[in-house]
Amino acid sequence: MAHDAHHAEGHAHAHWDTSIYPFIISFGILFLAVAFSFKFVYHNGFAAILAMGLGIPMIIAGIAGWTSEAMGKGEGLSYGAMGWFILAEAMIFVSFFVSYWYTKLHVDVWPPAGNVELPRTMPLVMTFILVASSLTIHYAEHLLHLGNKAGFRTWYLLTIVLGACFLGMSVYEWSHLIHSGFTISTNAFSTVFFSVTGLHGSHVVVGLAIFLAGLPSVMRGDIDEGFMRTAGLYWHFVDIIWFFVVSQVYYW
Amino acid sequence: MNLKEWIFTTDHKRVGVLYLIGSIAAFAVAGIMALLMRAELSTIGPTITANPSQYNVWLYTHGAVMILGFQIPALTGFFANFCIPLMIGAKDVAFPRVNALSVWLFYVGVILALLTFFIPDPPDVMWTGYPPYSTITTGNTAMYSFTVLILGFASIIGGVNFLTTVAYMRAPGLTLNKLNIFVWCTLAAFVLQLIFVPVLGTAVSLISMDKYLGTNFFDPTKGGDVLTYQNLFWFYSHPAVYVIFLPFIGVVYEIISVHARNAVFNYKMVVYGGVGGIVLLAGEVWVHHLYVSGMADWLRIGQMVTTLMISIPVGLMMIGLIGTLYKGSIEFNTPMLYGLGVVFLFLIGGLTGIPLAVPSLTIGVSDTYYVVGHFHYVMAVAGTFAIFGGVYHWFPKMTGKMYNEFWGKLGFWLTFVGVNIVFWIMMDVGVKGMPRRYYDYAHFPQFESAHQWMTVGAGILAIGFALAVLNWIFGAINGKPAGDNPWNSPSLEWSTVSPPPHGNWPSPPSVSEDWHPYGYKKG
Amino acid sequence: MHDKIRRGAAGLAALLLAAPVWAAGAGAKSEPKTVDPARDWDHLWNEVIVDITIIGILFAIVTAWFIWQARRRPGNEVGASPKLSPASAVGWVVIPIFVFLSIDLYTAANGWVLWNTFRDVPANRLEIKLEAGMYSWDYTYPNGVRTQNELVVPAGTPVVLRMTSRDTLHSHYIPDFRVKEDSMPGRITYLWFNPTKPGEHLVTCAEYCGVMHGYMAGRIVVKAPEEYAAWMKGEETSLAAATAPAAVPATATKPAKTAAKKT
Ligand code: HEA
Ligand code: HEA
Ligand code: CUA
Ligand SMILES: [Cu+2]
Repeated sequence: MAHDAHHAEGHAHAHWDTSIYPFIISFGILFLAVAFSFKFVYHNGFAAILAMGLGIPMIIAGIAGWTSEAMGKGEGLSYGAMGWFILAEAMIFVSFFVSYWYTKLHVDVWPPAGNVELPRTMPLVMTFILVASSLTIHYAEHLLHLGNKAGFRTWYLLTIVLGACFLGMSVYEWSHLIHSGFTISTNAFSTVFFSVTGLHGSHVVVGLAIFLAGLPSVMRGDIDEGFMRTAGLYWHFVDIIWFFVVSQVYYW
Repeated sequence: MNLKEWIFTTDHKRVGVLYLIGSIAAFAVAGIMALLMRAELSTIGPTITANPSQYNVWLYTHGAVMILGFQIPALTGFFANFCIPLMIGAKDVAFPRVNALSVWLFYVGVILALLTFFIPDPPDVMWTGYPPYSTITTGNTAMYSFTVLILGFASIIGGVNFLTTVAYMRAPGLTLNKLNIFVWCTLAAFVLQLIFVPVLGTAVSLISMDKYLGTNFFDPTKGGDVLTYQNLFWFYSHPAVYVIFLPFIGVVYEIISVHARNAVFNYKMVVYGGVGGIVLLAGEVWVHHLYVSGMADWLRIGQMVTTLMISIPVGLMMIGLIGTLYKGSIEFNTPMLYGLGVVFLFLIGGLTGIPLAVPSLTIGVSDTYYVVGHFHYVMAVAGTFAIFGGVYHWFPKMTGKMYNEFWGKLGFWLTFVGVNIVFWIMMDVGVKGMPRRYYDYAHFPQFESAHQWMTVGAGILAIGFALAVLNWIFGAINGKPAGDNPWNSPSLEWSTVSPPPHGNWPSPPSVSEDWHPYGYKKG
Repeated sequence: MHDKIRRGAAGLAALLLAAPVWAAGAGAKSEPKTVDPARDWDHLWNEVIVDITIIGILFAIVTAWFIWQARRRPGNEVGASPKLSPASAVGWVVIPIFVFLSIDLYTAANGWVLWNTFRDVPANRLEIKLEAGMYSWDYTYPNGVRTQNELVVPAGTPVVLRMTSRDTLHSHYIPDFRVKEDSMPGRITYLWFNPTKPGEHLVTCAEYCGVMHGYMAGRIVVKAPEEYAAWMKGEETSLAAATAPAAVPATATKPAKTAAKKT
């Protein structure tokens, strides 16, 4: 994928490959970090918006440019790389869970004062939906492997819909809890509850974003099987993590 | 020269050079912070600033930038990028754009760290960022969190990239037992990064969440626990010292085997016993940083044994290194001087870790200058010498030109003398009771002259380091042509022209049955 | 040439094993009469320092000798390291592991013994509560007497501090007694020391706690038991005389600098 920059020039080997997008994304992230400081440290909302206004478009433009520049030119290594990346991601969840257990086991009274009754059925429904979406993407990949592009598209879209349903239910639950006075700063449990479900939710968002990034090519029909397998792998990971989330924060 | 093709490059060698420039700049800034600190400590009471906060900000930037902005990027950024694809005979890394993203994220991280000097209420949380101080200070803790997060993310995607590269892109015939020791060491470091950086990222995010978003992870009045942070932090930051140690000792292996023109002693022992053993043990010793912080007793005792056992794989690596010298043919040029310097200085640093590993002894010396002396020997001195030696060693490959031997050797000897003055005295005052992170040591008047000697030593070693950097700059501009393989090394990176072109080899190399990176032959 | 390596290795192993044995002999000579962790600390510290010095010097000498014999001379442009037989390759792993492990375990065992000394508080102790804060040490005696930045104790009685903090981390470090332990909000930690004879000892803060961390000092005043009793009498009467609010020491606002000046 590095050898695509030279067709503009006649003499191919005098030029070195370049890509402007990594640079743009990095500095976009810099603006986001600065925006956080403006908002929460210096309480300057206007400057924060300004920095976000620079950062977010830079990141989006960077990602869009990157995908269009590189999509389909992968060397089939992204599946293996995703495995390593998932290892790193899993460690984030591990550190959340371990600090949760550490805190919980050390104090005398648990949960701390201020807790509310968490819903019991909603998480089961959410589990069902997420597992279903894992199965649909798996089936979609299977169809793609057999060469059935139309079938792939159907099940792919279904996966996206299921993922979106899951996200919607999360949002509904959060707003419900927040309205009943249970917020992230109520106590140590609420902190864990919101940060762990939020962290997981953000992974759902990333998973969906990957699917959406692949959507144009799916609609066009020039589907990159390696990309889809990698996206599917990530989605399975998000699903598996959910089992830990649901068992640890809702039922334990 | 086309500037655009440097800044937006996706080529691993140029990305590597960008890493080198950035990390040396970070080293210079953090080194100047060290000199300011030394100047401040040269007398009791205010010396160059009357504001303790100012000192704390220097100390914060010094520690954080030296570790996160200099050593880790120089080792897993510059050396890994420049050497690994060349050593395994690959055209480039698996994901060149991801590589470019990681170097620019590194620059962004360093920029954030250096913004410290320009923002109101700069962070003053030390490189460890312990709550509750970090959550109640008026300093800007968010800056600390984001610096660490961004540098950590850069490092993770770099790790993913290189593990994939070495797994799938080795030249035909290059089996695992023919990898350079440096490649093994760096892969191990990346595995450690992948497992442990996310934990650090979590830790530093939690303090900013507690401080700015109202969460209660570390607030005991709401059911949180202060010690959670320290556990998370050291669960990463101990392995991080091996993320530094492994690549730097790998660099020293390359230097010593090439300039002694000798095969590495007991290759398999080094790889499977040394590197493998360190990876296995690295995650089970973090509590040795919490011996006096109120951890459960059983954890402290258990991890005393694992910490002491780290001396086994590290000892095996030392034996391999020293054995490589045996019956060699040593040329005492600048890279070799740095390499040999590391052997001696690392012995001092590593062995002074042994008393620290025993919790009952740590009760006396933890958080004193003894600890500061220990880790400067092992990391700041041994690590930096390895980096400097490595830059000299691959300098002809990078630039096609030769550095100046005279100035190189002079720089080495100045730093060698300087570091021993500074860091030996440090350990001595530490054992006698001097605590670390003191802006002023008014109740320890007996240490004033020792502190003055340290300041003098710091001046000497600073000149030495500056000479080395100047030597590279002049060498890169108008050094003598060096030829493709000035050291006559059989290792793959020397088999292409200097500097290597885009794509590294006109046609990808393959290696024969009896080739080995350390196969020195008569003739 | 194989022989040389082998002989060198054997000598090295023997010396490495000898070090702990020798050090053990040095340690066994001292029969403790009263439990004094500070004195035991000095013993173990010296032992371990001697151990690591011997190891370090051995490695350094071997390295220096190898460097000397391997310097480049005309005619030996290429190194000639012997190729290891499989047996000696394995031996070079197993023997060092064995040697290093025995040193490690020996050190760990000694460390474990001293650790128990530092953690098992004698029964005849004086229990004192300590609340650390930015930037002062506030001690409370069992009878309610409070002092700030100065702890008066009787000679010959072990003293245990039950510590917590009202704000950030602090670490109550008494260099003369070789002991420190962090204090923090939400947990109670402890340390103990044995003041054997009258005198004054510096207390200094060893955990970064804020801007004035370097100035957070105090002292331990060890008095002869009778003097201590007299002093305590005086404190008790003034405690009884004072109204409750006045007995609360002014803490956070008081600049720690003055505290440091006293010592
Ligand atoms: C590159 C970095 C690096 C490396 C490699 C090490 C290596 C070691 N470190 Fe160090 N350490 C740091 C960087 C490093 N450290 C830093 C930065 C801190 C302070 C952080 C802070 O608080 O800010 C620190 C602090 C630190 C502490 C905490 C002190 C305290 O705060 O109270 C301890 C305690 O156990 C410790 C121990 C060790 C040990 C046992 C090793 C071992 O790995 C050493 C092993 C090496 C040898 C032993 C020598 C060679 C071996 C032989 C010759 C074989 C024979 C020897 C024997 C059998 C003994 N270190
Ligand atoms: C790799 C890490 C590293 C390195 C290399 C160094 C290098 C040095 N360190 Fe530091 N140090 C730390 C890591 C490191 N340190 C850490 C982690 C801490 C703990 C922080 C904390 O408590 O949170 C610490 C703390 C620390 C303290 C303790 C302060 C205190 O506790 O109050 C001191 C005190 O003297 C000190 C001194 C020095 C000195 C004199 C050097 C010297 O070796 C530096 C010499 C370098 C230079 C002077 C730069 C030379 C100039 C150039 C290369 C530029 C040339 C360019 C041109 C000419 C164009 N360091
Ligand atoms: Cu209290 Cu430092
Ligand atoms: Cu450590």
